[in-house]
Amino acid sequence: MDRFDAVIVGGGSAGLAALMELSKLGIQAVLLESGKPIGSKSVTGGILYSKNYPNGKVYNVEDIYPDFLDEAPVERRITRYYLNALSGSKVYTVDLSEAHEYRTNFAYSVLMSRLNKWFAARAEEEAAKMGGGIIEGVHVRDIVWMDDGRGSRNSIIVTDELEEFGARAIIAADGVNSEVALISNARGKFEPEALYQGVKCIVRLPEDVMDERFNISSDEGVAHLFAGDISKGHNGGGFLYTNRDTLSVGLVYHLDSLLKSPIEPYNLLNEFLTIPVVTNYIVDEVAVPKELDRTLPKEEQLRIRFGLSRLLKQYEELRYTYYSKHARLDAIRRGLYSNEDEIKTRLEEVRGRLEREYGVTFAKNYVEMEYSCKLVPDGKRAMMGKPYKNNILFIGDAAGKGIFLGTRIEGINIGIDDAARAARAVAMAKKMNNFSEDYMGRYYTQLVEESPYTDDIRRIDFEYMKIFVRACGNIPLEPFPLFLRLAFMLIQKTAVQELAAAIARMMAQSTLLKIIESNDAYVRIPMEVARKVGSEVKPIAEVRPLSIDERIARLKIREDEVPHIRIKDPRSRFIKAMVHLCPTRCYMMEASEEMEGKEEVGKGEGVKTEARLKAVVSNVILQHEGCIECGTCSGETEWRHTRGEKGIVYEYG
Amino acid sequence: MDDDDGEGVINAAVMVKLEPDLSEGNVSYNPDGTLNRSQTKNILGPHSAIACRAAMYAKVCYDAWVGACSMGPPTAEIALKDAMVICCADELHLYSDRIFAGADTLATAETIKHGIMKMGRRIDLVFSGHRAVDGETGQTGPQTAWKLGFNFIGNVIEYSIDLRSRMINARRKVDLPGLYTIIEDVECPLPALIALDPSYRDNYRKVSERLRYARLEKEARKRAEDYKSYLRIWSAKDLGVDVRYIGLAGSPTIVYKVEKIPKAKASRRAKVVDPNNVEELREIGNLILNIALGER
Repeated sequence: MDRFDAVIVGGGSAGLAALMELSKLGIQAVLLESGKPIGSKSVTGGILYSKNYPNGKVYNVEDIYPDFLDEAPVERRITRYYLNALSGSKVYTVDLSEAHEYRTNFAYSVLMSRLNKWFAARAEEEAAKMGGGIIEGVHVRDIVWMDDGRGSRNSIIVTDELEEFGARAIIAADGVNSEVALISNARGKFEPEALYQGVKCIVRLPEDVMDERFNISSDEGVAHLFAGDISKGHNGGGFLYTNRDTLSVGLVYHLDSLLKSPIEPYNLLNEFLTIPVVTNYIVDEVAVPKELDRTLPKEEQLRIRFGLSRLLKQYEELRYTYYSKHARLDAIRRGLYSNEDEIKTRLEEVRGRLEREYGVTFAKNYVEMEYSCKLVPDGKRAMMGKPYKNNILFIGDAAGKGIFLGTRIEGINIGIDDAARAARAVAMAKKMNNFSEDYMGRYYTQLVEESPYTDDIRRIDFEYMKIFVRACGNIPLEPFPLFLRLAFMLIQKTAVQELAAAIARMMAQSTLLKIIESNDAYVRIPMEVARKVGSEVKPIAEVRPLSIDERIARLKIREDEVPHIRIKDPRSRFIKAMVHLCPTRCYMMEASEEMEGKEEVGKGEGVKTEARLKAVVSNVILQHEGCIECGTCSGETEWRHTRGEKGIVYEYG
Repeated sequence: MDDDDGEGVINAAVMVKLEPDLSEGNVSYNPDGTLNRSQTKNILGPHSAIACRAAMYAKVCYDAWVGACSMGPPTAEIALKDAMVICCADELHLYSDRIFAGADTLATAETIKHGIMKMGRRIDLVFSGHRAVDGETGQTGPQTAWKLGFNFIGNVIEYSIDLRSRMINARRKVDLPGLYTIIEDVECPLPALIALDPSYRDNYRKVSERLRYARLEKEARKRAEDYKSYLRIWSAKDLGVDVRYIGLAGSPTIVYKVEKIPKAKASRRAKVVDPNNVEELREIGNLILNIALGER
């Protein structure tokens, strides 16, 4: 049987960082990932931060991958950060760039599926030097422990695809819906209170248009957060980040808030996309083909269809080349065009042909590329106190990590920090030849405790809050509850700032959280503020968001005949909520008739049994084929990841 | 070449063939239905590729040394290069000489036998494809085994080697059309020649095998970029073959009749339509439109 010093379960950004670090430390490590290619199941909002702390070291992405800043396929460096309070078409924007820059080396918008492929190439190269590597398309089904008779326990990893093999240390990086955590009994499933559900769509927008619209240079990026009446009263908010030539637009809600009054996440997203301020960011010129004249001979209809689709494709390519500095220069360098004017002439020519020959008109709409959904663990409620079990160390989402405090949103960087610490713990365990819970597990916990992130997850950082409150200097305080109004007033006055912070520090964390994460803070206050001081935004166009069916049709899902989710109780309140909350509508309500007792009617040979209709009940049924593995329904189902190579394949992520 | 004849080491050879690419759209026919060789692209034969996969399996699981060999014109080095990408061959041998031309399966087997004997190692295992797509007889493999005096196992779908006892375990699939399919497990001592069934699947079930496979795959791509430095071209003289047994002279086969080449199994059926015939065009228009509009 094969046996390895370290086995990493899960090939997300945390798992890959662990592989990279273990290999650098001279440990033979193997990473197992169920998706193929690696990265195909990774999703983020998302922004990747690199941070610095005066009181301790954090392991940043550039520490793990030294050529990260020069070569990684990141999108844009986020230099500006805004919070938008919304009420109807009114918006009030607060510039939080200073808060965003707080202890930040840099922050990039990223598309996880692409970035993880780059991470994987680096990590695999490093791992190969130690005889390790990455194995894609393998799903870990079970882990078995056996006493070796000398006090320590050997673990054997059971997968759907490979022969069993041994592992001395296991790093669980299998995400928020960690199966390893449940297999090993390290923790229960996360409670809805400790989870967020995020839905996102990738919107395409030519690079130069984006630069102009957001008033940025081609190397800069902007992040917008939104709060107010977008949520139908739920606790949560929206986001919009600029990527190179796409936008990440989405919503994040507390899952418990969604469970209280279930609502379809895709409908919320659609309403978000049609809010004037958001529409104005995402809108683009889209070619609208003329309705085909069905009275024409069918040959002619066909000729038009084929000719049109070819020309449209050409038009799109030309347009994205022309309106992108990078693509334009690249095309000229490759000799496809001699200069910019030539591209422009060609573009106009194709556009002219589309209009003349096919009656195409050009209208304002938006171009959606990919829809995705992910559960996010809320670090302050989900973080595992004991991030280890037997010889397993938990990192990143699997360990419930993440800093989410109002406008502060960090996750990837914390997973990477965890990964580096777990790798060090495994290296130490190997040196001491002790992979036990008491040694390796505790040592890892100690390393994690030393991380400034851990402190940040546990306690509200008042320095950050001060910057935040200062940034809100101009907003009217009337909508605020008395206590908050007082706090804001005090903090905004430099003289008593420290005093106010000191008072806040004395309050219990839970009391403060109740205020910060209240419905007031998420919904009512932003709405009031926008109504009072917001400026009216007129939509420059109307967009028609995609329906959920159109979105699912665009996703690449490798169907597995074996369902990976099983409903436990088809009538529970939770499962009924899933009919609304499943982002790809996998759950459906089905009415069925329930019969009551059999009664014998008649006598002798004419005995008949009759059943009486007791009630018409509604059962929830599941169609797992469209599942995108977010885990929203995992709370009350038997939930597993799909088998190797099956399930969702994200292109952007 | 180093002499690596120690116990537990497997030296393998894989015999491949340059064949016309008969996949749909790549093949060109003469008006009489025979193959137009000058217009058809040549590639590594699909059955040879399967043999290469089996050789890679030996390399991954048993750390075998693999030499790929082929008899053919100088252009056949492309087949060897393709083979190298699949099996990460350590050496490439091309037997190319005008005198080899016109060889039937028996004469080819004679040439390959000499080639394999001259690889500089004691070869334990030879892999061959099921048949060639342009020859169809499937005799070269077994005849080479006979000439080499090796055990022969045909239609192999899975195999394993016991390095200690130097035995090969093979699972073979025997199709009895209209009756049933027999799956046989056979065992024989090395040296042996195995011909792979088209349904051969390599199945790497161990983590270490997957890792090694990934590593060798990368290595193979690197090697193939510089395949010429691994390639040796042999003439009849180099091989020291008896000219009476090779080429046309050594071929007892009499070609009795040439059948038209069965066209590649196409995923679609074609019908020639006269562009001036409106009725026929309309019919096609309807067909495509129905599909395009989803009104099947």
